[in-house]
Amino acid sequence: MPISILPPSPQEVPSHTDRYVSDSDEEMADAGDNDFTSSNSHSIVTPGETITSDPQWMRGHGTYIPPNSTTIISTLAGTLQKTNKLLSVTPLRARYAPEIGDLVVGRIVNVQAKKWMVDIGAAQLASLPLSAINLPGGILRRRTAVDELNIRTFFSEGDLLVAEVQMLHQDGGASLHTRSLKYGKLRNGLFTSLAGAGGGGAKRNGSGGVVRSRRQAFTLQTTAGEIDIVLGVNGYIFVSKHTITAGDEKDASITRLEESVSETLYSSENDVVPKDLMREIVRVGTLIRGLVLCSRSVDEEMVVRCYEVAVEMEAEENVMGDVLVGQGAKSIVENILLRIESGV
Amino acid sequence: MPLDTSTYSLALLRLDGRRWNELRRLHAQISTQAAADGSSYLEMGNTKVLCTVSGPHEGKAGGAGGGPRSTQAKIEVEISFAGFSGVERKKRQAKDKRTSEMSHTLTQSLAALLLTHLYPHSTITIHLSILSQDGSLLAACINAATLALIDAGIPMTDYLCACTTAAPPTSAETEAGGDPLLDLNGQEEQELPFLTVATVGKGHAVSVLIMESRVRMEKVEGMLAVGVEGCKRVREILDKVVKEHGKRFA
Repeated sequence: MPISILPPSPQEVPSHTDRYVSDSDEEMADAGDNDFTSSNSHSIVTPGETITSDPQWMRGHGTYIPPNSTTIISTLAGTLQKTNKLLSVTPLRARYAPEIGDLVVGRIVNVQAKKWMVDIGAAQLASLPLSAINLPGGILRRRTAVDELNIRTFFSEGDLLVAEVQMLHQDGGASLHTRSLKYGKLRNGLFTSLAGAGGGGAKRNGSGGVVRSRRQAFTLQTTAGEIDIVLGVNGYIFVSKHTITAGDEKDASITRLEESVSETLYSSENDVVPKDLMREIVRVGTLIRGLVLCSRSVDEEMVVRCYEVAVEMEAEENVMGDVLVGQGAKSIVENILLRIESGV
Repeated sequence: MPLDTSTYSLALLRLDGRRWNELRRLHAQISTQAAADGSSYLEMGNTKVLCTVSGPHEGKAGGAGGGPRSTQAKIEVEISFAGFSGVERKKRQAKDKRTSEMSHTLTQSLAALLLTHLYPHSTITIHLSILSQDGSLLAACINAATLALIDAGIPMTDYLCACTTAAPPTSAETEAGGDPLLDLNGQEEQELPFLTVATVGKGHAVSVLIMESRVRMEKVEGMLAVGVEGCKRVREILDKVVKEHGKRFA
């Protein structure tokens, strides 16, 4: 006997179906980008949804093929992406998945004999081998047993650092390196995680976040002084007082340059940060958080423009005398974005 | 007797006015907590469950046990009851046998559902908070966990959806019994023998089947058939919730 299940009484169940049902029988145009589900950009695929059963497509991330079939089925809720004949599903939200060359901000979780384990918000801790950092005293120095014993003098538990993903392991774990003067320990500033406890701060389709771009570490000129901003692709950001990096100074020889920095490179002591500069640091941090809440992508241009408008708005408020209190980061950034979009 | 079986056989309406094959109101939301990797809130009638997922993240103390490091993600399920969730306000022991059986069931079924091999050496922690209990608790937990895992972006083969069915109430005149009841509330659960069934996807792949009470053997088949159909309907509802959520990002 066929069993029919009644929906819950205030009925609102049917209505969605048909549009999402992928017509796998439909013939695929060879151009390959005018058919099935994703043609409607407002729909997403959900786990278990058939994407296609045409064997000409290859399956990528976020899909699977059940045994003994050629049907490609989604395993995630997200948008379908096509790269030539490769089908993959990008999730709406997920943890950060490291890729080689990504600039990340991380925190040391534990120290082992020859490496540090760093939390970068990914599925696994990333490792930072002792051999992948700049040792004080010049690039040509050899790593010695003494360095291994003194491993905590470079980084210890809880330290923040900016690094680059150097290598991905077979199991998805990442190895980092800080072999550049741009990278290294972070101090004198404010750490912010853009998506709570590491819930994928990286930019995904439609949601806000940090985008991979040419410059993710930059300096912002403020009224109170210069501020360094590091936007990690993993959704961890760090806003700090500007430190004069060796790169800014006159062209010293590489080895000399290393020596000059080495004393302060691994210091864990914060410098004195003036109060007005702290204020600007917090302002920038909040603005970036607001951008993410407004589902905007975060890059250098956006941050700089938002900051400029925010300062402008504050000045106006001071003159007008009506200070809007109790606004959240989101509503402030919404106002700023309105102004940017109307003004340009 | 709250479930007046003689009246039921006359009108075929249950205590809350539903028919035998009617689900309760199923309301669900996902991404309810911004700080979690994935989260969901689900109501099946008056049963209310909040679920948060954290991970996949590095497991506690890694491979310190000395054993071979796993090639699959480990799944941990924690269930906690709010003090006000039940009829009586009482403190549950941390190691309640019922609770640990529920979490074990969830762990086992989710381990088969999720593509855990994609996250070696990591742990996926699922925390369920039960805010209100009114029957079909395990089913609500399974449905809430499925939604939270989807929100966390953890790959799975398909939805895991659950519901409960009870053996038809028998009375003197209808010895043969009527139709099995679908989606029980708390009162009905106490009156009737029932089972919880969870299926993967749109088909008939039963993943969880739990029955704690005794029932005549010939009734089980009918109960199961109704349960599987109910799961299909639940899947449609959950799928709709996810699609609605997805529209916000489009």
